[in-house]
Amino acid sequence: MNFRVCVKRMSERFATWLEERVGLRAVADFLKNKKVPQNKHTIWSYTGSIILLFFLIQVATGIILAFYYRPTLEEANKSVARIMTEVPLGWVIRSIHSWSATFMIAAVFVHLLSIWVIKSYRKPRELTWMSGVLLLLFTLAFGFTGYLLPWDELSLAATKVGTDIPRSIPVVGVWVTKFLRGGEDISGDTLSRFFSFHVTILPLLLLALVGVHVYLIQKLGMSLPVGADEKEEMRRAIPFWPNFVYREMVVWLILFGALVTLAVFLPPSLGKSADLMAPAPEGIKPEWYFLFLFQTLKIFPARILFTTGDTVAILLILVGGILFFFLPLIDNRPAERKGKVITWIAFAFILYAVAMSIWSLLG
Amino acid sequence: MKVRESIFTRRRFLNGLLGGWLGALLASLLYPVMRAIFPPEREPDQVLLSGEDYGDIPPNTVKPFAWGNKPGLLKKAETGDLIAFVGVCTHLDCNVTYLPEQRKFFCACHEGWYDENGTNIGGPPPRPLRRLRVTIEGENLVIRKEETA
Repeated sequence: MNFRVCVKRMSERFATWLEERVGLRAVADFLKNKKVPQNKHTIWSYTGSIILLFFLIQVATGIILAFYYRPTLEEANKSVARIMTEVPLGWVIRSIHSWSATFMIAAVFVHLLSIWVIKSYRKPRELTWMSGVLLLLFTLAFGFTGYLLPWDELSLAATKVGTDIPRSIPVVGVWVTKFLRGGEDISGDTLSRFFSFHVTILPLLLLALVGVHVYLIQKLGMSLPVGADEKEEMRRAIPFWPNFVYREMVVWLILFGALVTLAVFLPPSLGKSADLMAPAPEGIKPEWYFLFLFQTLKIFPARILFTTGDTVAILLILVGGILFFFLPLIDNRPAERKGKVITWIAFAFILYAVAMSIWSLLG
Repeated sequence: MKVRESIFTRRRFLNGLLGGWLGALLASLLYPVMRAIFPPEREPDQVLLSGEDYGDIPPNTVKPFAWGNKPGLLKKAETGDLIAFVGVCTHLDCNVTYLPEQRKFFCACHEGWYDENGTNIGGPPPRPLRRLRVTIEGENLVIRKEETA
């Protein structure tokens, strides 16, 4: 018996041994038979795995950054400066982490908006949509908590404003602010709390919810366009493995190339260390994905009727978020019905967000 | 009236008892967790400033001091009176700065304006700056919370 046959027999025996104990054949069979529909909406089904790609990059680069980062008032800014100057290739790692956050959030927005417009949240995919909206929330929370960690003047001012916003919500608002800050005011405790959110709580929550989200997608299958012929769709569908995965890989490689290029040529800056007692610097702006909310807050007058303008603005934003979450229950028509109003609202929202963001950048 | 069967079965009684007991156990576990998550108020009752450093600042200037984790601003008015504020915008909590040439307090975050007495006069702030009470006790200035508000 030659060596090759021996190795083959050994690996077969190991596979059988493992199968008897773990039983992964069902999963393998499922993936082998999984099909992806090919139609005018197929392009949007790439956005989900794009989010996953950037999330994996965030995990890998984030772990490396956490090796050197120190979440204390004295050392936070210094340790980021050390990552940028002393740690071998530290500046690229931080830059990729920062750019990949932007890419990931952009991909989440595109993913959700595309599903909104093509209405694949309809029965039976309501819970897939709702878990997706929560994932959006967690992704934004990642961005918000990560923004403070370099502890420079801009990130402190942005966090002061951001954590003060919930205060306007009746009854629970004050407690939300206290919970986020670890007290009445921003302090060293806020920094360590945000670090804890960013590297333990949010990753655990996100992973658990991604599990639910992906499970639901596998269980329910890919949605078809409104009014599609099911038989024709079945005939055109391509196998998930390897046909679709290879196509996805092409997209991943292109995006990864774009990410690294941007990261190398446009690394994020680091301002001087934040001072809790210093006046807020001029021209503070949140990250781009909060600009439209920032501008919305800015255009409200100081007082409306018997309450402050902010309270009204924040309650309106909150109501908008709740309506967004419950979209599948509001538009609960059967999957084959068109929904022009819902589509127009989606485009109106995109227009509003883009216009507000540009106004904020110019103003 | 006598009923044939018990309306409240033994099982329901035990379930209620165990459920209540589990609920109480959970609450007793949650209480210390909540206590640890929400730390107590840390605003100081008073802050002592040395008269040497703060007593003779020129009129129409402001000198910052630490009011807990927030900046406090001690201001000498033209009349020579000392007044103090919590130097935090009443809009969304950014730290304000004093612009002596304009005699105004300014918050750069959302362009909020206050006059030299801390009254909100422009932009989004809904309330005047919070005042603190200044008293001179011997060599030192003592800053305390305003009794009202």
